[in-house]
Amino acid sequence: MIVQKAKGIHIDGRKSMSKELPLQDYLNPQFVYIHLLRQTESLKRVVEVGEYVRIGQVVALREGWGPLPIHASVSGTVTAVKKVWHSSGKMVDAIEIKNDFLGAMDDSITPEKDPSSLTKEQLVEKMKQAGLSGLGGAGFPTFVKYQSKLPINTVIINAVECEPYITSDYMMIDRYPEKLLKGLHYMMASVGATRGVVAYKAYNSHITDVLTPFLPLYPGIEIYLSKDIYPAGWEKYLIQQITKKTYNSLPSEAGAIVNNAQTAMVFADMVEHNVPLIARGITITGEGIKQPRNFLVPIGTPVKDLIEQCGGYIDGLDSTKTNYIAGGPMTGRAILIDDLIVNDTLGSVIIRPIPDPKLSVECMGCGKCADACPVFLTPTEIWHASERGDIEAVKRLKASKCMGCGLCSHVCPSHIDITDFVDKAKALIRKGA
Amino acid sequence: MARFSAGKAPFIRIADEKNQGTQVIMRDFIIGLLPIILFAWYKNGIKVYLEGNVSFLEMLYPLVFILLGGLISFLMEGLFFMITDPKLRELKPLMNKISTSFALIPGLLLAMVLPLYTPIWVLIFGAFMGTIVGKMLFGGFGHNIFNPALLGYIAVGFTLIGVINANGGVMNQSEVLIDAYAGATPLSLLANIKTINYDQLVTPYGTLWNFFIGTIPGALAETGALAIIIAYVWLSYRKVLKWFTPLIYVGTVFIVSWVLGAVVGDGGVWFPLYSILSGGLMFGAVLMATEPVSSPKNPLGKVFMALLLGVLTVLFRYVGNYPEGVGTSLILLNIFAMPLDRFSATIRAEGYNKKSSIIKITLFLLFVLAIAAYAIIKANGMYTAGGII
Ligand code: SF4
Ligand code: SF4
Repeated sequence: MIVQKAKGIHIDGRKSMSKELPLQDYLNPQFVYIHLLRQTESLKRVVEVGEYVRIGQVVALREGWGPLPIHASVSGTVTAVKKVWHSSGKMVDAIEIKNDFLGAMDDSITPEKDPSSLTKEQLVEKMKQAGLSGLGGAGFPTFVKYQSKLPINTVIINAVECEPYITSDYMMIDRYPEKLLKGLHYMMASVGATRGVVAYKAYNSHITDVLTPFLPLYPGIEIYLSKDIYPAGWEKYLIQQITKKTYNSLPSEAGAIVNNAQTAMVFADMVEHNVPLIARGITITGEGIKQPRNFLVPIGTPVKDLIEQCGGYIDGLDSTKTNYIAGGPMTGRAILIDDLIVNDTLGSVIIRPIPDPKLSVECMGCGKCADACPVFLTPTEIWHASERGDIEAVKRLKASKCMGCGLCSHVCPSHIDITDFVDKAKALIRKGA
Repeated sequence: MARFSAGKAPFIRIADEKNQGTQVIMRDFIIGLLPIILFAWYKNGIKVYLEGNVSFLEMLYPLVFILLGGLISFLMEGLFFMITDPKLRELKPLMNKISTSFALIPGLLLAMVLPLYTPIWVLIFGAFMGTIVGKMLFGGFGHNIFNPALLGYIAVGFTLIGVINANGGVMNQSEVLIDAYAGATPLSLLANIKTINYDQLVTPYGTLWNFFIGTIPGALAETGALAIIIAYVWLSYRKVLKWFTPLIYVGTVFIVSWVLGAVVGDGGVWFPLYSILSGGLMFGAVLMATEPVSSPKNPLGKVFMALLLGVLTVLFRYVGNYPEGVGTSLILLNIFAMPLDRFSATIRAEGYNKKSSIIKITLFLLFVLAIAAYAIIKANGMYTAGGII
């Protein structure tokens, strides 16, 4: 219909550059830095400088809301506590561990004798002990979703990777297809769900090829092929497509839980081997990288090590005219100094020369932003209302529905940072409330 | 360690691509004007010359007049920048500024909707009212409440129409020779005879085909329905304008005037066709109602606006004292664009299936219907159908 059609926009994927080379293990950086921050929660450090730590040993605790233990990702000595860059664009305290390259494991890491006998409660407890949080970007503590009071019958693995450039989920599934299905299987068991769905873009037929041989082993698991549009991987959209149900605030209202692909893999490792969240896949890519590729790295690895592994920046790169993006190109953040450290939610770093700037033009009022918005907002109205300081109008215009997808700025012919203005309006509501 | 640039997500912007961005949109807009300008020149210049009624130089005049309109508004805007901003007194920054403020367009559009024999000083006055008063004093491109060209047109129409008519008005040198026209455009004829009758309204100008092609008397470029439709297709294809705005506007006029004709006594389809093909409706619907800055931004708002424009045009045209009706409805809707945008944006954000939204939409549609009904009832008392009185 004229005014409200199915939403989403095709954006050139730019994914092939980071798929050229296979996933590379980079498991032994000289130093790792465990950020003392998860989402917006500061962590409590439980190890001292000078202490020896093993892989999987608890080094910090997320207290308060969504409590989780946080683990060392290499073995070695805690050498310092210092501020390092975080994907949120801030510098935060981190525990520096000097790798002794011995790979010494914490005693807790032992094979689970009979994973299939674990009860729901035991499985959810394992989620918690794994320090597991959403590796897709939000960093939401996973176990919280599994304590839902509402009945859950569908668990969805979101491997859509709808943002351009990023291929880490793709590469991880390519290498560990069965681990993905196992993780999903255990996730379903954690809530007694009967339906498991792995969702990815239809053009990734290679994923179908690698998953198919294992599918018969995991009853109840099916594949969902999504369209090549952005934001096809948006949780609400995905749930709507798969369960044909909508919800207001929580996916559980539709009887569904959505998890990232890598989150499921870590869970499989936890259930079967008691290995917590200590590593993840990450894409290092962009036109500014010599040889883009994917890595499997311990949490806390310096990104500059990885860029070095990629052959460094392209020759003659003018960094002052380049964006160093933590996360995807649609929702990520520009990092000003190339000294970023991998944290739980960092799935990609993109080095992208800034296109030649055009002359700046005023908002021409074309309404393309309103047309593009997947949740049917009118960003210009929200912007004007928040400039007037009219909180009531901002609320009426439902700024809180904005999921920050960035499409409004993406389509704007006048290059207005309209997404950012909507963000500011959202902040206005939070402050007002 | 290297220092990288700041920036805001999303980092991928369509505007960065080649052949994208506001400047390209404006270029495409001007390309869209070409068929209309060429038709205006053909009808008022080339054709008249071929018929032997004007000299070669006079043949060029319509084209020169339109281009002059663009040039005047361009120069005015440049002067305004130079006077108000000392930083813009050098050529390069000045040209950069003007190229992002699309100074040509108001004057071009204005000249296109003025009568052929508008004195140049009147054109200058209109361009001043449009560009300086309507655009620059509001803060320049992107801040204008009124469509600049439209404001210039209204200003001229309300104050200087007598001067224009005394100077020769709309009729070109071939048209003045046609007795059947008797110096009237189709709409002024209708306003005079108040009769809805094919033989009296259409036959003097030939057939509806002439209306469609545009070889009927009227302002410089407004009559060329076919050329305007070509422009519409191009501009919709290039996504310069929202395709449904003109369609709903013209469609509403079509339906309401059909009913109006039927109520008055002639339900023939010729009358709604005559209604949409005469006067400035097509031009206004495609090139004025779609002006982005002065209309609602969200699609629902555009739909609302187009519906209102349709019923108001019928009302003003057939009931009010303005044979034109298009300009008046457009300027009125410019004023209400902002509240309409807010109203519709809220409905859209809340969702169409919400009870409050359904009520709001229903009320709005009733309002539109009420205006249409009022126009029809009023017209029924003013017009007659049927033959010679
Ligand atoms: S912000 Fe950009 S997309 Fe939205 S109306 Fe203005 S110019 Fe158009
Ligand atoms: S960022 Fe927010 S306002 Fe902009 S298109 Fe996405 S959801 Fe809509």
